[in-house]
Formats: sequence, structure tokens, C-alpha cells
Amino acid sequence: MSSQKKKNKVFIEGAINPAFIADSIAKHSSKTSIGAHTIFLGQVRNDMNDGKTVQAIEYSAYNEMAENEFHKIREAAFAQYELTCMHIYHSLGKVRAGEISMFVFVSSKHRNDAFIACREIIEQIKANVPIWGKEIFDDDTYVWKQNNS
Amino acid sequence: MKIKVIAFGCLTDILGKDMMELEDVSNTDLLKSKLYAKYPDLKRRKYKIAVNQQIISEDISLDENSEVVLLPPFAGG
Repeated sequence: MSSQKKKNKVFIEGAINPAFIADSIAKHSSKTSIGAHTIFLGQVRNDMNDGKTVQAIEYSAYNEMAENEFHKIREAAFAQYELTCMHIYHSLGKVRAGEISMFVFVSSKHRNDAFIACREIIEQIKANVPIWGKEIFDDDTYVWKQNNS
Repeated sequence: MKIKVIAFGCLTDILGKDMMELEDVSNTDLLKSKLYAKYPDLKRRKYKIAVNQQIISEDISLDENSEVVLLPPFAGG
């Protein structure tokens, strides 16, 4: 079972399409033991730096290690919380300001576990998964994205 | 013995590339001193070293099958 879970594909090339998110929600209608979904969406922000505006973030990852870390986060969440299912998606490559780059979808019988687990999963992703982002400005210069704790 | 070293994120700017091969590096301390000699800016950067996908905290020995990766602070999300 855990080897099957490991095959879950997390990385998506480019932005995450809102229609894909809607589809993911619709697919859960057959799982009638679920009473609560928590969804977190990370959106690329048009930060200002030195008078320049971020147009896009170009994400890269150390894929093999990232897949392993996602798997560990997933296993830990299932062990710790009462979850029916969970899905994590993260963009690779270029995502423009205003587009979605991360989609975390946690489902449980009740809201409490769904809320807490979702928050915990996001914090774990930010802390432990080897992903980087190049913030590209309107003049094609860039800085490397830094996460706030 | 050749070791393949892969870099990510801001470290690719310092190294000028994302992959290189280094000769005669039998452990990670030696690897670091060779890298610092060639890329002094690297010394001031915060980063971790992963060997075969495990982040290391002390010197370990390397062989030619070791996958050595330089990881600057993560920035997912």
C-alpha cells in the first residue's frame, strides 16, 4: 500500500489550473465518509523589490529527494491525524503572478483534523522539501525566493 | 576517482553551473575545502550537503557512486 502511495505525482509543469482543482473536489463526491475538506492554495505574489515587480516564479526541485520528502510528510500526516485522503501538488517551471503554484487538499470526517493536518503539511513542505524559486522581474533580472518562517 | 556534484537554487549562480565533476575528493570535508578554494563566495552562503539524498551533519567518506548535492535553503510553496 505504501509503495502505491509513493507513486503519487506531486509535481505539475507550470501553473495549477483552477479547473483541475474543481475536478479534484468533484472526484471526492463518491467518498461519502468525508465530512470536511481543507484546501490550501499558494498563489504567486507580485512582490516589489528595488522598484521592480515580480512577474513570475520559476520553480526547480531536487526531484528524487523531494518525492521522498513528500512521501514522508504524507505518511506522517496519516499516522498523526484521522484523514480520509490527502493530495499535494506543487508546480515546477514558470508560474506567473496571480497563478496557483501549490495545492494541498486534505479530507477528513470532521473539520478539526482536516484544518490542523493541512496547516502542518504546508509547514513541512516549506521546511523539508528541496524546492527553489527564481523570482523573475519585469526587466528579466531575478532574485532567489526566500521563505519566511 | 571522480565525484559528481550537483547544485541547486542560488548556488548555481556562484558555481556558474548546476553540475561538475571533481577529482580526488574522498570525503565531504575535502570536497568543501576544494569548493571554497575555487568558489570563495560559497563560504558565506547557507547550504546543506546531501549524499545519496540524506542531509549530512558531519564529514563522511565519498566514493564514485556517491550522489553529492548542494542544497541552499528551501523555498517551496
